[in-house]
Amino acid sequence: MITAFLLGLIAFVSQCEYALGTSLICRPIVTGLLTGIVMGDIKAGVIMGATLELAFIGSFSVGGSLPPDVITGGILAIAFSIASKSGVETVLLLALPIATFTLIMKNLYNGIIIPMLLHKADDYASEGNCKGIERMHLLSGFGLSLLLGVITFVAFYLGGDVITNLLKMIPTFVQRGLEVATGIIPALGFAMLARLLLNKELVVYLFLGFFIAAYTGIPLTGIAIFGAILAIILVNVSSNGVGVRETVSNTQGGELEDEDF
Amino acid sequence: MKTSNKITDKDLNRVFLRSFSMEFSWNYERQMSLAYVYAMIPALKKLYADNREGLIKALKRHLEFFNMTPHIVTLMLGISIAMEKENSESDSFDENSINNIKTALMGPLSGIGDSFFWGTLRLIATGIGTSLALKGNILGPIIFLLIFNIPHIIIRYIFTKMGYRLGTEFLSRLEKTGTMKKVTYGASILGLIVIGAMTSQMVSLTTPLAIGQGEGAVVVQNILNDIMPGILPLATFGAVYYLLGKNVKPLTILLGMAIFGILGSFIGIF
Repeated sequence: MITAFLLGLIAFVSQCEYALGTSLICRPIVTGLLTGIVMGDIKAGVIMGATLELAFIGSFSVGGSLPPDVITGGILAIAFSIASKSGVETVLLLALPIATFTLIMKNLYNGIIIPMLLHKADDYASEGNCKGIERMHLLSGFGLSLLLGVITFVAFYLGGDVITNLLKMIPTFVQRGLEVATGIIPALGFAMLARLLLNKELVVYLFLGFFIAAYTGIPLTGIAIFGAILAIILVNVSSNGVGVRETVSNTQGGELEDEDF
Repeated sequence: MKTSNKITDKDLNRVFLRSFSMEFSWNYERQMSLAYVYAMIPALKKLYADNREGLIKALKRHLEFFNMTPHIVTLMLGISIAMEKENSESDSFDENSINNIKTALMGPLSGIGDSFFWGTLRLIATGIGTSLALKGNILGPIIFLLIFNIPHIIIRYIFTKMGYRLGTEFLSRLEKTGTMKKVTYGASILGLIVIGAMTSQMVSLTTPLAIGQGEGAVVVQNILNDIMPGILPLATFGAVYYLLGKNVKPLTILLGMAIFGILGSFIGIF
């Protein structure tokens, strides 16, 4: 019971890496050391942590997708492994289902719970209530830390089998459906930003960016560089007097085109 | 000019410290926005101390979508503060340029930041750390953290001051030459291109549907790709943009998306 609680605490603190400058304290090489201390075998913890670190080296959040959760996966696998005196190979087998389960929970939290708090923060912003916004920010972060802490605690307390079975119980279409939803949720953020910047004269540039990306697959940095060059050219053209008249006529002629967009 | 609105080193230091929680409230909808406004609050409170309307606008402004390598985000925060300062002092300042600059810079800066921090520094730290840790040496994890975090914190600190200075100098130069309007125009173009590209790259929706069976089956996604790649993400973006224009609440859209995903996957179109 105390061990489970301490492991939960490690998970809680690790997730707080995101409050501590994304300082990598949640990586298995670090949590391995801490888990080793709690389980009474520091050397085994450090070695397994390093092994998992190498196994998870490629799993890093890039763009909008998240890899299986290394925090609960790492801590629980190492803890179960030390407790059952089994080798490092079993560590990996145990780590993945737990990490996948946590990932689903995390995605739900990041996709639904935090946006709810975020919209509450929008309301506070309209009132000029800074304290309220700060509270929503901290609540978002600590809530997720707490969730991971609880998952780790419960999982270690009940054992690995239960987690694996639980994962099997969630219908595939619900899992898949939530994946689909998290895939399209960024559209909401972009659309809100576009609502802020977009006017009829400029809508074409949104499409330009979209189709360069869609047809060529050039990375974002490349597109931004081309975009910057294009912007400089257009600014020069308009300030030399050549393009000024064109932009004016565009605004007049373009009124009908994007009403329905 | 009001002396109470002056941004001091102490204010910038507070923003620097708050920037550590940049990914704490990361989410799918607007990614780092909540953390960004959290970091800006000490500066905003001071700048708009006697302008409540301005404060409300600024808070809303920085709650818009934002994402950047968290370790270098202070550069952007510094620039934003310089622009907010300008905005709080001058009536003619174009507020939209603040978010335009943010949107335009997040891609390029993240490109540099991601490759340096995730691609280079982390791999060096992992290489040295794990080679020690695999032998059971407790120094492994400790050295791993030191190699990554000492440069990271120094850069983060320097960038706070640098961003603010850059922003201020940049703005005063622009004001003298009267090119602010041009820059705003250019920044809008760049910002929108980046939003378009991000929509294409980060919004993902495909269908596993197939017409017919076995060898002769026609995969619907292939047809869609032939017509136009990214047609489903673009349609999603368009639908959301339209709904926002009809004043549908973002939260409603969000829940709608979850239901849409589950239903779609249940009947097998996604």
